[in-house]
Amino acid sequence: MEHVLNPVALHRVTDREVSLSGTIRAVAAGDRDAFSQLYADYSRMVHAVLLGRVPRRDVDDLVQDVFVTAYTRIRELREPAAFGGWIATIARNRATDYLRQSREQVALPDELPGGDPIEAETFAVLDVIRGLPEAYRDTLLMRLVEGMSGQEIADRTGLAPGSVRVNLHRGMKLLRDKLGLET
Amino acid sequence: MKDDYLWDPSSAPDPEVERLERMLGRLRSNAPAPDVDQVRSAVLLGPRSATLKGSRYVSLRFLVPTLAAAASIVAMIGLTWQTTRGTRSWEVSRMTGQPRIGSAPLAGTGRLGVGQTLVTDAASRARLDVSTIGQATVDTDSRVRLVDTREGHHKLALERGTLHAFITAPPGQFVVDTPSATATDLGCVYTLHVDEDGTGVLSVTAGWVAFEFNGRESFVPAGASARTDPRIGPGTPRYDDAALELQAALDDFDYGTDAAAKARDLQFLLSSATPRDAMTLWHLIARVSPADRAAVIDALGARVPMPTSITREAVMRLDKAALDQWWDALGLRDASWWRKWKGPYPAVVK
Repeated sequence: MEHVLNPVALHRVTDREVSLSGTIRAVAAGDRDAFSQLYADYSRMVHAVLLGRVPRRDVDDLVQDVFVTAYTRIRELREPAAFGGWIATIARNRATDYLRQSREQVALPDELPGGDPIEAETFAVLDVIRGLPEAYRDTLLMRLVEGMSGQEIADRTGLAPGSVRVNLHRGMKLLRDKLGLET
Repeated sequence: MKDDYLWDPSSAPDPEVERLERMLGRLRSNAPAPDVDQVRSAVLLGPRSATLKGSRYVSLRFLVPTLAAAASIVAMIGLTWQTTRGTRSWEVSRMTGQPRIGSAPLAGTGRLGVGQTLVTDAASRARLDVSTIGQATVDTDSRVRLVDTREGHHKLALERGTLHAFITAPPGQFVVDTPSATATDLGCVYTLHVDEDGTGVLSVTAGWVAFEFNGRESFVPAGASARTDPRIGPGTPRYDDAALELQAALDDFDYGTDAAAKARDLQFLLSSATPRDAMTLWHLIARVSPADRAAVIDALGARVPMPTSITREAVMRLDKAALDQWWDALGLRDASWWRKWKGPYPAVVK
């Protein structure tokens, strides 16, 4: 099979990988600033992944848990470029763990909107997004809640830009259908 | 649908996507990164440290290996203590129910690290050791995050619920953020309550608290309270034993939107204030429009005469030194540290 390299794309990815690799090495060495940088770069993605799965009131705490886990296990990460997918997996596993324990112990209430109609509508839309297939759900939350661009989502998750574009458009179409919005 | 906007938010907006962004953007988080020092402590404690990592609930299948490792845990307690006492964290003790630190239940005592959140439900309460300078009790249905703690500076964020603080440090060392005001302790005992909508009330039992938001400040002495609201920040402080009609008029004046009604409220305040309400009138000097300021000065002067060392003109232009001297004439205990450091009134034009 013939491999055709795109020098422009290769150069961009390599720069990003080199930077991320350096950050991860520094985190592994205990560098506080590097850890803050990693958090600044990836916390929105982790927040979106968790928000799509667990009650909002516990999302911030679980984001912290996910980053603590990532910090304690970062030496296990063999390929720095895979960090985004790796920490997203930690987040999904943490959410699964949380939900399993919640079912075992006590049923936790989901969002409890107050009298504010805007807040009620926000949680209603969130519930609809939570009902979408995982790929669309995560991508839409990164875009609509966290304000990430398509390229940022691709950079952080490690997904191909084309896949992110498809997920955004198909997810948005599904969301519009379910919300009864005109397309 | 404008597909490009979905991919690139800097391109021409799709109105429907933009509306969803505005709505759902409310769910965004500003939580800070976990403190690395605290994480290191968690590493030493193992992956199921009670303070940072671990499940919300204790499961039986963890009990047997936990007991089997009891000897090791005992040996590690010394190491843990040595490790955590030097890190940026506070000791937290369960008082009732089942408080949580992050997602981990607090059984007896634990440590709250910078960036971590202490959560109580309807049945739980907890006590925080504020470094070495005091204590804070967190009541039921509260959520409080440790923002920072270091020599001479300790900061909490009370996101909702009630906190009672007892601080013995020099002024300015203990600060509590709320969604609509920041409370800076001036060596005192106080209670701070925040509702889900960000409104709140500060009640001071001893000492003083400065209450501030976006440059609007209230200076609250013992026996007094001040409301706060995300729309304008801290309201005008009043003594808790002030007439209820006066307190209601003050709330309407602070947070009302009808100009005519506010004018009537101000007239009522100025005519019905007692000498003890001079503290409230003093705050109003800087809160009313220049057109109303003369009337406030007259009302305050009728309760506590203006010192002969200052001029009416200086007070009219909110001269800091002049306001300071009139404050001193109110006969309240000295609180010059805060007033000289910041002053609960706008900057002056000399």
